[in-house]
Amino acid sequence: MDRATGPVPVARSRRPRSSATPYLFLLPGVAIFVIAIIWPALQAFRMSFYHWQIMAGAISQWIGVDNYVRAFRDPAFWLSLSNSGIYMLATVIPQMAIGLFIAVLLKRRSPSQPLFRVLYYLPVITSWVVVSLLFKYLFADRGLVNFTLHDFLHLMHSDVSWLSERGTALIVICLLGIWKGVGWSMMIYLAALQGVPESLEEAALVDGAGPWQRFRAVTLPAINPATVFLSVMLVIGGLNVFASVELVTGGGPVGQTDVVLSYMYTQAFRYLDFGYGSAIAVILAVLVFVLAVLQLRITRDRGEELA
Amino acid sequence: MKRSQRIGLAVATAAAISLVIAGCSGSSTDSATGTKASPITLTFWGSYGNGGNSTQQDALNKTLIPAFEKANPGITVKYVDIAYDSLLQKLTTSAAGGQLPDLVRADLGWVPQFAQLGVLAPLSDTMSDYKTLAAADYPGSVATNLYKGKYYGLPLDTNTRVLITSQAALDKAGVSAPPKTFADLEAMGAKLKGTGVDLFADSGLGAWNISPWIWSGGGDITNADETKATGYLNSPQNVQTIQMLVDLYKEKLIPNLITGNQGATGTSDGLPKTQYATIFDGPWMAGIWGGQYPAFKPIYSPIPAGAGGSISVVGGEDIVQTASSTHAAAAQKFIRFTQSEQFQIAMAKTGQMTVQPALADQQAQIAAYYSVYSDQLKTAKSRVASPNQSKIDTVLSTSLTPAFLGKTSVSAALDGAASQIDALLAGS
Repeated sequence: MDRATGPVPVARSRRPRSSATPYLFLLPGVAIFVIAIIWPALQAFRMSFYHWQIMAGAISQWIGVDNYVRAFRDPAFWLSLSNSGIYMLATVIPQMAIGLFIAVLLKRRSPSQPLFRVLYYLPVITSWVVVSLLFKYLFADRGLVNFTLHDFLHLMHSDVSWLSERGTALIVICLLGIWKGVGWSMMIYLAALQGVPESLEEAALVDGAGPWQRFRAVTLPAINPATVFLSVMLVIGGLNVFASVELVTGGGPVGQTDVVLSYMYTQAFRYLDFGYGSAIAVILAVLVFVLAVLQLRITRDRGEELA
Repeated sequence: MKRSQRIGLAVATAAAISLVIAGCSGSSTDSATGTKASPITLTFWGSYGNGGNSTQQDALNKTLIPAFEKANPGITVKYVDIAYDSLLQKLTTSAAGGQLPDLVRADLGWVPQFAQLGVLAPLSDTMSDYKTLAAADYPGSVATNLYKGKYYGLPLDTNTRVLITSQAALDKAGVSAPPKTFADLEAMGAKLKGTGVDLFADSGLGAWNISPWIWSGGGDITNADETKATGYLNSPQNVQTIQMLVDLYKEKLIPNLITGNQGATGTSDGLPKTQYATIFDGPWMAGIWGGQYPAFKPIYSPIPAGAGGSISVVGGEDIVQTASSTHAAAAQKFIRFTQSEQFQIAMAKTGQMTVQPALADQQAQIAAYYSVYSDQLKTAKSRVASPNQSKIDTVLSTSLTPAFLGKTSVSAALDGAASQIDALLAGS
């Protein structure tokens, strides 16, 4: 606050500003946030305790925590939760590691650097619908991947029905997630790398540190805030995976690749069971919140230890 | 002072937010009263334009609606096209928001679901001539509007599945005609072994997919009252019918498209590419192949007959009126108009089959393959009319898939499905 108001004392003395001014500027954004996010979230929380009737004016029956009990006893919910968990675990670390690797490569100034930056970032800004359908075609029974691995390189004895089984279908969905997310991690790391003070690097060089030692002892700690930010955001994003699953497998075969959000979507919009769908959404929200708080706490404690 | 300022600000914020909210709701009440003052406007939602099909929308907007408006001065019909995939969601959210149209062209599977929610008007109560109108339509199509003893809509267009065969695949098998019976089909399968052509392909194991097999095999899914599946779905006939399909699957004559492999070639591509020899599909396929595979000449024939004959499943759309419509009389006039020869034949010309057997001959003049469909429709049955229809589909496919994959026996799969469907039927 002090820092923000520091550079403009002249303006302040000329035109006295009421302390409400900043809040008025905040108002439009906060209003949209409250109306479009907080209000629906609270509504969903309320709905999760009812056998919810969707008709306007219809009376919904209060059933307490029944929807939550049902979720904890529902094997399909647990399967979807484990699929979301697998997706999160399998995509977060590769996205960060590959993103960091590419960022380090692209840090050096070269004529081709802007081109590669754009190329790696392109998947991030491409629509999920487009890339999901692209992956679906690539991994189809008679798709390019089977053609390359089987007919061209002869690495497999026969074509693999990638999308016909839970395991292989999840591999495809995870690969898609990593491929689409790497560019974003790269961009964050690239920005962080450019903020590493050169004096530190030079000091380490003078002390005789090799490239790997410099990376580990200077660069990595310096970009730690970016790492924390990325891991929190990617864990949240990983657990919220939806569009790619819905488009590539539709949760199939027979619900085997359902993730929490696609299962919730089926319950709410296909079976019109909004109470149960809301309960699933609330469970996921609580899980994500707890994980994010834990992550921040662990990384903060570690940061204090390092300091 | 600071505190009072803050309170003032909070009040101002609350006022601003409530103004925004009031603004939203205010405008909608205005428009509602606005339509009341002017001549009646009926809003009609449907998905005629799905897949970029403009001929059906054109027939409706340029010919049929103007004809109706001319015959009924003071009523205008506003047709709103919504993509099929988002129509159910839009109906759901609009029902929640109390913003439904007057009329909806609903997939017949949705009618019991929305009737249960109280969204639809029971036309068999509110239309005095309902019985006369319904008597002109295929009974299987009319039955899709039934929920708890009342009918909530009238059939608008219909379709069913028939056997469609590729001539190239017949040649490869050395067979002269499409299989007429289950036995013919199995014999053709034996001849196709090793040719790289699959005997039969389908994209799932829901009721739409397996009902023709079950009914043609002489079995049923539930009792006549649709209150019980145990004793019907898991009958010895059904075990035999499904076992035949499972055996074909194990012999790799039915591809894993049927067990939910999203990467398998779809039936609409697999048949013209001679990857699949036969499929079950509807009358819309002619239009799709006409554009994508102009050289492909599909052969249409009845579903192969088993012990129960050749019986297929009814598909199509119903026209329903919402309970919230404030123009019920005008809406019913339009519903009557959809049952007229003029409406039915104009839509048949764009690929929507008529729901009236009396018009079948006239329809066959438009395209010859229609007669195979209209003959099949004479005995076609509708799926269980339950608000839980989509859950029943899920139960069928999740129970039967393990049987196809060899993880359980067919009879165990059908026993499990039957008891789950019993619960769904009791729950509704």
